[in-house]
Amino acid sequence: MKRLLITECFKLFRQSKTYYAIASILIIEGIILISAYFEGTNIINLLLDNLRKTFYFNGTLLNGNLLQYLVLNTLWFHLPLIIMIVVSGMLTAEYKDKTVQTVLLQPVRKWQWILSKYIVAIGFTVVMVGLLFLTSYWLCRGFFGEGDLVVYLDGLSFFPAAEAATRIQWSFLAGTISMVFFAVSSLTLAVILKDVTKTWIVSALFLIVCNVLLKIDLGTDWLNQYALFKLNDTWQYFFQYEIPFRIILLNWIVSVFYIIIIAAVGIFIFHKRDIG
Amino acid sequence: MIEVIGVNKNYLVDKTHPIKALENINLKIEKGEFVSIVGPSGAGKSTLFKILLGLVTPDSGEITIEATSVKRIGGIIEKPALYEYLSAIENLRIFAGMQGLPTTRIALEEHLIRVGLPIHRKDPVANFSMGMKQRLGIAIALLNNPSCLILDEPFTGLDPMGVVSLRSLIKKLTAEFQLAVFLSSHLLEDLNQLCNRLYVLHKGRLIRQGNTQAIMNACTHQYLLTANNLSQSTSLHHWQHQLKGDTAEISIQPGQVSDLLAALTNEKIEITSCIPQPDLLLLFEGESV
Amino acid sequence: MSKIFICCWLLLFSPDIFSQGVDEDLIKMRQRLDSVLSFQVNLQLETDISFINMPVKRALMRWEKGKTVQFTTKDFILLPKRGLDFSLRTLFEYPFVTLVRGVATQNGQIIKEMNVIPADRRADFSIATIWLNTSLRRVEAAEISTQKDGTYFLQMHYRLAKDIFPDRVAVKFEIEKIKIPLNFMGKGTQVDKEKLKVDGMKSGKIFLNMSDYLIRMIGS
Repeated sequence: MKRLLITECFKLFRQSKTYYAIASILIIEGIILISAYFEGTNIINLLLDNLRKTFYFNGTLLNGNLLQYLVLNTLWFHLPLIIMIVVSGMLTAEYKDKTVQTVLLQPVRKWQWILSKYIVAIGFTVVMVGLLFLTSYWLCRGFFGEGDLVVYLDGLSFFPAAEAATRIQWSFLAGTISMVFFAVSSLTLAVILKDVTKTWIVSALFLIVCNVLLKIDLGTDWLNQYALFKLNDTWQYFFQYEIPFRIILLNWIVSVFYIIIIAAVGIFIFHKRDIG
Repeated sequence: MIEVIGVNKNYLVDKTHPIKALENINLKIEKGEFVSIVGPSGAGKSTLFKILLGLVTPDSGEITIEATSVKRIGGIIEKPALYEYLSAIENLRIFAGMQGLPTTRIALEEHLIRVGLPIHRKDPVANFSMGMKQRLGIAIALLNNPSCLILDEPFTGLDPMGVVSLRSLIKKLTAEFQLAVFLSSHLLEDLNQLCNRLYVLHKGRLIRQGNTQAIMNACTHQYLLTANNLSQSTSLHHWQHQLKGDTAEISIQPGQVSDLLAALTNEKIEITSCIPQPDLLLLFEGESV
Repeated sequence: MSKIFICCWLLLFSPDIFSQGVDEDLIKMRQRLDSVLSFQVNLQLETDISFINMPVKRALMRWEKGKTVQFTTKDFILLPKRGLDFSLRTLFEYPFVTLVRGVATQNGQIIKEMNVIPADRRADFSIATIWLNTSLRRVEAAEISTQKDGTYFLQMHYRLAKDIFPDRVAVKFEIEKIKIPLNFMGKGTQVDKEKLKVDGMKSGKIFLNMSDYLIRMIGS
């Protein structure tokens, strides 16, 4: 298994498309950061305009924490889209080039080989989110410094600088679990569909549908809390004034459960199917 | 040794019309033996190979492969499928690595040298010719010393020099590793040279099996004869023929060819080639043209 | 607001108003405060506003006569505009008159309730009510109706009888419910539109705790 993991990592990082994907994500992050700076100025002015009647303000809210928060906010569509393309390509490219056959002609167990792809896909996703976190952390604080974070979630909340940084770190972790969910889903779609283009289209559709359904009321509290697509904004809970750790932990457990189920389905289908 | 007993495989294109890809296939290949299988396109050769290689599960039947190594059988289906963005040595590293074989530079270079590939090329395999890709495919198929080797149309896409070169490589490796080799090819003249035994597959059923030469002879009723001043021969008129310049297509039984050649030699006709022309319809379908 | 303004205007032209002038106790209180040249204090700010969550904030406040107040803080801080004016100087910036509403005794102290009515249109309030401790010459509470910023109420608490400045001030005020763009920053906000129509203004409180005063008086 370890050998398979090493092989999959080697293949992933020897392909130029992986680096195109990384560069795309960093470029998107840069664009988001620049637009967040201008958007942040406008929105803070709008917010504080109402408060100006009653308060003086000392200090600046347009700081690294706010900008990293805005980057965080806008990243959860672009990032999974690119991750899904790279991850699904780990398998669809092998179907296209028929290297699946060559691999399975070696003494390698089918389920182990596909499992190694799932593990590497998860690892790649974690690395990507980590890279985004570190680059946004350095860029935001390097250019805009630290300071209090203001968030509007059913009320205006102000978090001191150190606390804001911690909340942002935790929310990136929560976002990582969502990204892993999408990565694993795209690999399972690749197992089912095999074709590169079909897999991209269906993966993008899945992502869009999940984002749309996030806001829909499903009728019951239980469904609204634990349905597949409702868990993808768990990261937001870290910006409630009192963090509901119990809810977050439950969401994470359910998310991991979904991830395992979806991966298991993909492994089962791949293992049972004939190749070629 | 490979033994196939009663293998059947159907494909369901739609629920009401299953396609019989293989029907009651029985065959055997001994260690060190070179066996080929021929048939028209769609006869089921690739399906049979995929079943032997474990890529496809048969609907029924038994397959026994006797082997001492953990990798019982190696092979190439249709074209060699390689990681085109990687170099030859990187491809070998991947396939050797996943099986726990040594991936040192020296170990990998040995595999390349064995199949006659250069060891210093670092460019991606996408730049390789088809012949070089076939060689690399064979090197990968032979990783972990399988006792059987399956090659599906290995000479497709190769120029005549490439065919000759690959043919001698396969012969050399078979002798060196005492492999049981099972291959298919449309180049019947090469099969004659390479293979001990021949199977003929038609619409999923084996319609002929036996000594390659004997089967070819049984299906050959025409020869292409080329000789200088052939038009001046009188003994040629004993057989039905069509003459075009110095080449004649002669309808003749294999057993009578030596008589014809002797007669032409007596007439001081300088024979340059005599190539059997097997009746392909008879060979693949059991019916004459 | 307009009714209050009309009342004030009528009061202003009432013959009785012209005979009121400025209350003597108020003048004494002002004289006491005018003797302060500068002060510095550690400020701790707690907010109690329903739609604002803010942790306790700290700042260093410095005031010098004739200069604007200065705050030193590491964090972002919201400072109430009115609550920091312990001496209520903004009420006395322009000519005004006072009208005593009543006198009461509280804990042995004489507390005089009076209205402060501006006599100049430039004043930014329409009427103020102050509760003046005549014994100790300091303001215990004040309710100020501003021209534009609603009404706010100040409750002062002093640690010792001799203290000029309070150690705790509670500021109660009205604040308009913030209209936030729905796609800003957070989750898809559930906006209760019915509630917004009925309950546009919210009340809020800010508690200021002062400690470690450094006061420089005239003659010191």
